[in-house]
Amino acid sequence: MRKFLRRFVSDYKEYILLIFLSVISLTILAQNEKPSAKHLKIFALGNFAVLNEITNSIVSILKSDESRDDLRNENAHLMLELNRLRKFRAENEELRSMIVFKDTSKYPLIPAKIISKLVTKSLGNFIVNRGSNNEIRKGMPVINNKGLVGLIMDVTENYSVVQNLYNSNLSIAVTIQRTNVDGILNFDGKNLIVKDIPTTYDVQIGDIIETSDFSSLFPPSIPIGIVSKKESNVLGLLHNLQVEPFAKISAANNLLVLKIIPSKQINKLEMNLIK
Amino acid sequence: MIIQYLKPILFFIPLAVIQLVIIPLISISNIAPNLVFILIAYFTLKHGQVYGTILGFILGFLLDIISGGLIGAYMFSFTVSAFVVGYFYGENKMDINISSYFFLFILFICGSINSFLYAVISISNHNVSLFFMMFEEGMLPGLYTSLFGLPIVIFHPKEGM
Repeated sequence: MRKFLRRFVSDYKEYILLIFLSVISLTILAQNEKPSAKHLKIFALGNFAVLNEITNSIVSILKSDESRDDLRNENAHLMLELNRLRKFRAENEELRSMIVFKDTSKYPLIPAKIISKLVTKSLGNFIVNRGSNNEIRKGMPVINNKGLVGLIMDVTENYSVVQNLYNSNLSIAVTIQRTNVDGILNFDGKNLIVKDIPTTYDVQIGDIIETSDFSSLFPPSIPIGIVSKKESNVLGLLHNLQVEPFAKISAANNLLVLKIIPSKQINKLEMNLIK
Repeated sequence: MIIQYLKPILFFIPLAVIQLVIIPLISISNIAPNLVFILIAYFTLKHGQVYGTILGFILGFLLDIISGGLIGAYMFSFTVSAFVVGYFYGENKMDINISSYFFLFILFICGSINSFLYAVISISNHNVSLFFMMFEEGMLPGLYTSLFGLPIVIFHPKEGM
């Protein structure tokens, strides 16, 4: 028996090794949200990001310009203000009454620079050069001068991980600006999709999609993109809306973190839903 | 034996920095080459299947923790794809495998498997068709990765690295 086992292991050692290592990998994959895995990731990220930052500064040495960051900051403020005004106009025309808004432009912005990107089709992540030392906290929204980019998911002292819109694990409560139709936006691995909107609702191609009042992760009225395509399901009762984001995620370089601390309890619940 | 494993790890550090900082600048619609996989394929073809499988596991783990992605995703995809690369290993075929254009073919096939497995693991929304995933998330990154193997084919010294 022992001889047989020894021969079996010797003959099939490659397969046994493959199965063993694959099982370990998949087990670790399932343990991703455990605190020990988080600590390991944060430790490695914090140390290795220094190398990334040095390389990034060498790469971007020709295009660095300090005044651009201020202009971007101002541009982002104006973008939020403009979008808020657009919404006021649409609702004034329809309701002719006053509605109380949360003012998104009042939140302070923290400029951050992308130092490395994980380029995959379904797990869009950035690492930015701002962390808990710059008062960045997990769950803060990230924008650029065009619109929403993503959400802070992990924070080390000097660096943070941003989960961007092209990450299939991120779901965002959104609303269509013109008609106030609500939905959930997520990335299906190919496109940004708002699923299961009834065909009876008034949605047109070109409608602006923005963050919803229902989301406690994101302040309301941050522009996300426009409806670029409508697809009916088999029965024709529901639509899937394809969304073209305003922010060019793959070309993003400088970002702004909205310094808001959402309600801890609701935030915790929503972060758990994302996980 | 330890040096044998340390050597690829030393090459891994600059390659990982390039992978995370410079490669995004040349990605096309989120399709990017994987330099770390080229390193794994190269050493697997030099040292065999068992070595490659373990190396894929170790480097996958390192890339997972420094990239901010899912820990285990690259670990699994590199382990399996390095195992497949190992089938092309042959003590007498080392130069043919690495110094000829056959190396690019190996990179294309195994790089596609690597990208496809990574996509399957990391995507949580399974509405995307299998054909789409195989083509756009498997073959295209595989093709792009194989292009980056060209300098190795051209400049690979006969006595190896």
